[in-house]
Amino acid sequence: MKPVLELRNLSKSFGGLQVIQDLDLVVGAGQIVHEDDPVVGHVEAVDHLDLSLAPGEIVSVIGPNGAGKTTLFNLITGIYEPDDGDIIMDGRSIVGLSPEEIANLGVARTFQTLRVFLNMTVKENVMCSAFGNTGARIWQSVFRTPAARREERQIAELAERKLAFFGDRLMGYRWDQPAYSLSYANRRRLEIARAMATNPRLLMLDEPAAGMNPAETHEITELIGKLRDEVGFSILVIEHDMHVVEGVSDRVIALDHGVKIAEGSFDEVATDPGVIEAYLGYGAADTR
Amino acid sequence: MEFFLQQTVNGVTLGSVYALLALGYSMVYGVLKLLNFAHGEVYMFGAFAGYGVLTVLGGASALSVPVWLAIVLMFLAAMATSSAIGVALERFAYRPLREATRIAPLISAIGASFFLQASALLMFTANSRTYDTPQLIEIQTGIALGPIRVWMVRILVIVSAVVLMILLTLWVNRTRLGKAVRAVSFDREAAAMMGIDVDKVIVVVFLIGSALAGIGGVMVGLVFGRIFHLMGFVAGLKAFTAAVVGGIGSIPGAMLGGLLIGLAEAYTTGYISSTFQNVIVFGLLIAVLLVRPSGLLGRPELVKV
Amino acid sequence: MSDTPGDETRIGVDQWVEQSEDRREKYTGWTAPARRMFDQVSPGWRLALFLLAAAAYPFLVRGSDVRIGITVLLLAMVALGLNVVVGWAGLLDLGYVAFYGFGAYFYAIVASDQLPAHWPTWAAIPVIVATTALLGALLSLPSRRLVGDYLAIMTLFFAQIFLELVRNFERLPFVPDDLDLTGGPNGITGVEPWELFGFEINSQDLFGGVLPNFSRQYYLALIFLALLIMGLHNLNESRTGRAWRALREDTLAAEHMTIPVNRMKLLAFAVGAGIAGLTGAMFAAVQIGVFPTSFTLFFLITMYAAVILGGSGSIPGVVLGAIAIAYVPELLRDPGKAGWLFYIGLGALLYVMVKRWDHVAVTVGSVFVFGLIVRFFSGRIWDESTMGEANDAFMSRLMDDWVLILDAQRDVITNYVFVLAIVGVMLVVVARAWWRIAALVPTLYFAILVWENKLAFEPSITRQLMFGAVLVVMMAVRPQGLLGTRRVEIT
Repeated sequence: MKPVLELRNLSKSFGGLQVIQDLDLVVGAGQIVHEDDPVVGHVEAVDHLDLSLAPGEIVSVIGPNGAGKTTLFNLITGIYEPDDGDIIMDGRSIVGLSPEEIANLGVARTFQTLRVFLNMTVKENVMCSAFGNTGARIWQSVFRTPAARREERQIAELAERKLAFFGDRLMGYRWDQPAYSLSYANRRRLEIARAMATNPRLLMLDEPAAGMNPAETHEITELIGKLRDEVGFSILVIEHDMHVVEGVSDRVIALDHGVKIAEGSFDEVATDPGVIEAYLGYGAADTR
Repeated sequence: MEFFLQQTVNGVTLGSVYALLALGYSMVYGVLKLLNFAHGEVYMFGAFAGYGVLTVLGGASALSVPVWLAIVLMFLAAMATSSAIGVALERFAYRPLREATRIAPLISAIGASFFLQASALLMFTANSRTYDTPQLIEIQTGIALGPIRVWMVRILVIVSAVVLMILLTLWVNRTRLGKAVRAVSFDREAAAMMGIDVDKVIVVVFLIGSALAGIGGVMVGLVFGRIFHLMGFVAGLKAFTAAVVGGIGSIPGAMLGGLLIGLAEAYTTGYISSTFQNVIVFGLLIAVLLVRPSGLLGRPELVKV
Repeated sequence: MSDTPGDETRIGVDQWVEQSEDRREKYTGWTAPARRMFDQVSPGWRLALFLLAAAAYPFLVRGSDVRIGITVLLLAMVALGLNVVVGWAGLLDLGYVAFYGFGAYFYAIVASDQLPAHWPTWAAIPVIVATTALLGALLSLPSRRLVGDYLAIMTLFFAQIFLELVRNFERLPFVPDDLDLTGGPNGITGVEPWELFGFEINSQDLFGGVLPNFSRQYYLALIFLALLIMGLHNLNESRTGRAWRALREDTLAAEHMTIPVNRMKLLAFAVGAGIAGLTGAMFAAVQIGVFPTSFTLFFLITMYAAVILGGSGSIPGVVLGAIAIAYVPELLRDPGKAGWLFYIGLGALLYVMVKRWDHVAVTVGSVFVFGLIVRFFSGRIWDESTMGEANDAFMSRLMDDWVLILDAQRDVITNYVFVLAIVGVMLVVVARAWWRIAALVPTLYFAILVWENKLAFEPSITRQLMFGAVLVVMMAVRPQGLLGTRRVEIT
C-alpha cells in the first residue's frame, strides 16, 4: 500500500538556524522508515526527518515550542522549500510545487494563527475551497449559464454539508454572517470546515484545540476521530494538549529542535524519557 | 570629457536634492510602513515658501539684506512651512488610520497629495515662478574642476545636502530620540512597550523629513530657477524611486539611491534625450522593484507564517 | 458556553445559539431606515428601478443635462471596472487611468483621419477591449512579487510612462517621421461616433426631437452600464468573485484552498482593464477627440473618489458614488447652482460637526456677527475692500452685503484666509464641545470668504480640492463608503 505522505531526510534551516533536521516520516504504508543520522554541533530546524502516514491514519506531531512543527507543515504545503530531502505524496515528489498545486493534489491544512477570510461570510469561506474542483469559466459565470448555476448549487450544498459537521454552531443564519463575527472557537471550526471542502486526502491540523476550553477540546477530539471514521481522511495533527493527542492518535511523533526524538503509540512516546525531558513533564503525568 | 563632467556635476546636484527628499520617504516608511505620496507636495510648498521670502526681501535683483542672509532665511521659511504641512498631514491624514486596513493610508495619502496640489493651484495659480538665481548669485563665481566650472550655487546645494545627511546620520545613531526612531522602525509595538512615546517619535520623523524636503525645494529653486505647483508630483515619484532603489527604510540607502537617480537622470538627459528622461527613470524603478524589491541597502521583510 | 465537560448543553449547540436563534446585525444611525429598505429589495428589482429612472431621465431634461448624464454613466462604468481591481481583489492600481486612455486613444486612432483608418465599430470595439485586457494582464505580472504600496507605486509609474509616450510618440527613436499616431500634446480630433446596426450614435436627438440631443449616446452608455452591472454582479457571486475576495483577505490561505492566486490577480487586472478600454472607446466617441490632459492623475483621483465615496466592493455603492462625483462638479460650473451646493454642503458639514440644532443656530448667529465685525474693521483699514463686486448668483448677491468682498490685493489676502481656513478646520476636528463652536465660527467665515472671492469662479480648483478631501475624509471617517460594508483586518 502506497503511503499517502512520506518525508525522507527532510531538512530546513533559516539563516543559520537549522529548524528541521533529517526528518523521516511515512504516513500510509504502516512501515516506519528510520534514518537516524543525528547531526552534532548544528542547530537545524528540520533535521533529516522521516515521516510516513497511512490512509485513514491519524498521526500527531508533538514537541515544545520552536521544535519545528509548523515549519514542517509549511514545508509540506510548499511555503518553504526544503534544503535537503524529499516530500512524496502518493509516490510522487511534491517538492517545488506551489501551495495551490499541492492543495489540488489533496493536501489541506489549518493554520496555527487562524486565517479565516474575515470579511466573507461563513458559507463563502467554505465555498472558496471548492475552486480547484470546479470549472466554471468566466463567461459562464457572467452569463449564469445553466451549467454554472448547477455548479454553484453544488458548491453551496458542499459547503453546507461540511459546516454541518459541527452541529448547529455554523448552520442556519450563521451561514450569512461575516466570519469576523464568529467566536474564536467557531473560527477554528470554520477553518477546519474550509479545509475539508477542498476534498483532501490528507488533512493537516495545526493546533486545532488551541485556545479552547475543556468542553470544546473534548468536542474537537471527537470531531477529529469522526473525520477519519466517516470521511476517511488521513490526518496529521500538531497539538500541545495531550488529552487530544491521546484521544485521536494512531501514532505520535515527537520533535525537539527539528529532530525526531520518539515515534510510536501515545503511551510509548509519553513515557519516553527523552520526550519527558524535552517537555519537563508537560501533560504527560495528567493523562494517567 | 568636459560634457561628461558637466553631466556628472548636474547629476550629483540633482542627486543631492533627490537624496534629501528620499530621506523623508525612507524615514516615514521606516516608522509607519507607509508611502507618503504627499511628500512631493511638501517639497513644493517649501520651494514656494522660499520664493515668498525672496519676494518679501525685495526679489533677486533688489535684496534688502545680504545674499547669504536671504538664503538662510529662505531655507528657514521653507523648513518651517514644510514641517508644518508634514506634521499636519501626519496628524489628520495618517494618524486616524493607524489601525485601519492596509489600503486606507495609501488612499488617504494620494487624496492628501491631490488636495495639496489643488491648494497650491488656488494660491499660486498655474504660473510658474522663478528664483532668478543669476541675479542672486553671480553665475560666474564658482570653482574650477578640471576643464569645467562648477557654479557656486551647485556647490552650495551639494555641500548643504552632504552636511545635512551627515547631521541626520549622527542624530539617528547618537541621540536618544534618534535611537527611539530606529526602535520604532524595527517594531512599533515593542518600542511602545519599552516606554517610547511612539506618537511623538512619528511626529518628529515627519518634522525632520518634511524640513529636509522643504530645503530641497529651495535648492531646486536656486539651481533650476523655475518652480510650479506640479513640481512636487514628478519629483516625488523620482525621489521615491531613489528611496526604493537604495532600500526603503535605510538612511544611507536613501542617499545612495538619490545619487544614483540623479546621475541616471543627468546622463539620460545629456546623452539620450531629455524628453524621455522620466520614462527611463521610471523604467529603472520598475526594474529594481522586480529584481530586488528591498533595494540595494535595504532589509528584506521577514514574515512569520 | 458550559464550563465543564458533561454538562447539560448539547454538544454542537452553544448557549448563545439556543437563546438567540436568529440574530441579525441591526443598522444604526440616520441612514438605517433607508438601508433596511434597500436590503428588502432584491438586486434585480433595484437594478430595474434604477434603469427605469435613468431611462426616463432624458425625457425630462434638456440636451445639455443629458450630456452631463453621459459623463455620469461613463464614470460609473469605469469606476465599476476599477472596483473589480481595488474593491474586490484589493489590488491598489494607481495606473488604472492609463487603460482608460489606452482604450480611448486606440479608438481614436482607428476611427478618425489620424492614420487614416476607419474601422467599423463592430470590429474596433472587441479588438480594443481584448487589447486593453491584454495590457492589463501584462501589468499584473509584477503583482506576483509586489504587494500593497509597491504595486501601487509601480502602477502609478506605468500611468506616467503611458502619458509620456502618448505626448511624445513622434520623438521615439524608432518611429518614422511621418507617423503621427497620437497627435502629441494636441491629441486627436475628428473622432467618429460609434455605429451599430446601421445606426449612428452621435450627439443628435432621438425620435425626431422627442428626446433631446445626446440621447443616443446616453442610451448606448446606459445599455452598456446595465450589462456591466449584471455581468459583474454574476461574476461576484461566482467562484471567480469569491476567489478575488479570498485573495484579498489572505493570499496565503487562499492559495492553500486551491485558489490560483497569480492567475486570479491577472484576471482581475485584465477584466478591469477591459472595462476601462471599452469605456475609453465610448468616451473618445462622445468627446469627438482625445487629449492627453484627459488621462492624468486628476481623472484617476476622480475615479477613486467615486469608488471610495460610494463604497468599494459594492456595485450599487460604486454607481451611487459615480453619480455624486460626476454630477456635483457639473453643478459647480454654474455659479448659481454652485453657490447653493456650497452653502448647503457647508450647512450639512456644520450639522455633522456639531450635531445639535441649537448649537447650529448659535454657530450660524455667531458667524453672522463675526462677519459684521470683520466688515466693520476692514472698512476702517481699507476703503476699497468693501467695494468689490460679487458674482451674479443668488446666494452671492445675498452674501454680498455681508461678507467681505475684496478688491485690491484680493488674491494675496484670499490666500492667507485660505490657509487660516485650513488651520481652522484642523482645530475644529481636534476641538470638542464649546471649543469646537468657537473654532467653527471664524473657520466658516473664512471658508465663505474664500468661496465668494475666489472658489466660486474656479470650479476646476474646487473640484480638485473636493475630490482630494473626499479621499482623506472618507478613509478617516467612513472607509466603507456610503453603501459598502465595514472591513475588518487583523494587521
